[in-house]
Amino acid sequence: MGVTKEQVESSLNSKLNPSHIEVLDTSGGCGASFVVEIVSEQFEGKRLLERHRMVNAALEEEMKEIHALSVKKAVTPEQWKKLQESNQSNPAA
Amino acid sequence: MATMLFKGFAARSLTTRLTSSCYYGMRYSSTVSNDPDSHDDFKPANKLENSGTSLSNIVEQDVKDNPIMVYMKGVPDFPQCGFSALAVRVLKQYDVPISTRNILEDPELKNAVKAFSHWPTFPQIFIKGEFIGGSDIILNMHQTGELKEKLKDDVSKQ
Repeated sequence: MGVTKEQVESSLNSKLNPSHIEVLDTSGGCGASFVVEIVSEQFEGKRLLERHRMVNAALEEEMKEIHALSVKKAVTPEQWKKLQESNQSNPAA
Repeated sequence: MATMLFKGFAARSLTTRLTSSCYYGMRYSSTVSNDPDSHDDFKPANKLENSGTSLSNIVEQDVKDNPIMVYMKGVPDFPQCGFSALAVRVLKQYDVPISTRNILEDPELKNAVKAFSHWPTFPQIFIKGEFIGGSDIILNMHQTGELKEKLKDDVSKQ
């Protein structure tokens, strides 16, 4: 069997200490495809590429079986707060 | 809908570019290797094995020679993965020549690219020799306007 959503979450939790995390299994059950949204202080001062590299590194083991990993968001708590606020002021977006 | 028209154009100019600028046989334009009926024995021989040029050198050369180099699954007109399709679609919004290689046709090249960029998945996008990232990153850069800046820069320096 492939990787579970819980495995992905626990690896990301232990390595990136996120304040918010959302993992979606988009594989339809085979555990090979995930969408990740993650908010962590560790992203502070890092470019997007670096942030994605951190996520990839945290999931190094899992990546052997994951075929598709989409990091929808890799933001700092501050950026996350702004995103939440702009979403609230513009619910249609 | 202008995009649709443009797409046809882009694809044509791309093919020309690919066949003329790549010295190692462009698997992309080969119909033989895409033929599900062709036996392994009859597929085009891997020229890389005989060329004495290591695969990492090929990748290095690729990203040096091509302002925009995309390693993807499938070809621009027929991407074989949603993420590769997305990356190509984003890049086609800009009036820039895109060079690609289909990593599905060459597992060794696939590994060489991964080792070169230290990145586990495809597509992988390089702009002016710089590794940019995958489809999430290119989409994000497109949305923030960062990509526009980068490509504007790119064209003016050519």
